Amino acid sequence: MEQNGQIHKIDICGQICPSCLLIALKEVNARRELLLGGGALHIYTDSRQAINTIPGSVHNMGYQTNIVKSKGHYCIEIQKA
Amino acid sequence: MLGEFTLIVVTSLACGLAVGFLLHRSDFCVTGMFRDYFLFRNLSMLRVLVLMIFVSMALVHGARAAGAIAYYPFPLLGVMSLTNILGGALFGVGMVLAGGCVVGTLYKMGSGSVLSAVAFIGLLTGSALYAEIHPAWAVLTKQLAVFGPAKTLPQAFGIEPSVLIMPTLLAGLWLVGRWARRGQLVMPAHADGYIQPWISAVALAVIGLVSYVVVGMPLGITTSYAKLGATLEAWVAPDHVASLAYFQGKGLNYTPPFGDQPITGGAGPELDAIAAIQYPLVAGIVLGAFLSALFLRELRLHYRMPARQYVSVLIGGVLLGMAARMVPACNVWHLWGGVPILAGQSLLYVVGLFPGAWLGSLILLKYVVRGPS
Repeated sequence: MEQNGQIHKIDICGQICPSCLLIALKEVNARRELLLGGGALHIYTDSRQAINTIPGSVHNMGYQTNIVKSKGHYCIEIQKA
Repeated sequence: MLGEFTLIVVTSLACGLAVGFLLHRSDFCVTGMFRDYFLFRNLSMLRVLVLMIFVSMALVHGARAAGAIAYYPFPLLGVMSLTNILGGALFGVGMVLAGGCVVGTLYKMGSGSVLSAVAFIGLLTGSALYAEIHPAWAVLTKQLAVFGPAKTLPQAFGIEPSVLIMPTLLAGLWLVGRWARRGQLVMPAHADGYIQPWISAVALAVIGLVSYVVVGMPLGITTSYAKLGATLEAWVAPDHVASLAYFQGKGLNYTPPFGDQPITGGAGPELDAIAAIQYPLVAGIVLGAFLSALFLRELRLHYRMPARQYVSVLIGGVLLGMAARMVPACNVWHLWGGVPILAGQSLLYVVGLFPGAWLGSLILLKYVVRGPS
């Protein structure tokens, strides 16, 4: 299924640790079709721990990440490598 | 007398500011170190904690050899009791559910976490509630005491501290050196202004030493939670607070290293030596983290979180507050201060902390942390 350009966004700012990593891993698995079809998953978080740990875990699952900071939080952009 | 308190207040405030700044920059969350091992089998931050303990051990014993330590072991350290294990276990459960331990809650709250502010309210409540069960807990602690009046393992075995400390220190430094050579102390860094946790671990050990040399004891903050809880409770029920034995006690009675008169303090609402030592430290940690987040433009309040997370941090905070009095004390006091001198109370606390953090992680995973709905 071609889903090129589609973006799924999740806002988990302020949540208790380790929600961010668990939710990110769960969502990457749940949105596999979207990601393999060329879409992207954007996770908005303010957890400094998650910003450091999510990219490594997502890379291990075969995806690439880009981190963008704006307005006090970070957006982890996940898409297929 | 005023001069003694001024030095203590200024030192504690400066230590607190530096600690709060470092904890935020490195996200140096002791709760996360234990929890992430049980949830993800991730040992990386626990290694950093071990580094901090052995650096603290080296610094404290170097300072002791140089004659810079006035009290060894330090004031407020209790005798060993099996209740330290029970308290440690409850502390472990509470800190995972609260999303941070006693000091973790402070730096997260300072950097804008609404959940940690709720946990802080729970902590005050739990600390004040402990006063209701203190007489029974004190009796149990006495009944389950081990090694009589000894406070440290060297005292328990009747040997010079260095006989046990030196081999322990050498083994610890060898282990940490091995991790360092393999690059296992360096974390991935994507967050702005990130300070590698191993750098913070060394800096925090130095700050702990400053407190030990100047104030006479390592960093500690938990009695001030009970004190603040008692102060708030006294506004509503002054007679009840006055009737509780725990709030009348003066557990601290010592002459500061740079003072010439004894000072006293306890968990009651009075502004005493405990208030002079711990209130500035607490305020400094919150302020240090606040300034760090402000400089990074990361200070935002988020309150739209799932209700179950609010319930978790409140219950966790109450458990944590009670446990912090039952142990007594917290990660900072025991891991930075007690374990490095092989204090029995601190070692038994750690024994309880592991199963507690494991149980807390199970509860967190089953009932609290779920995907977005």
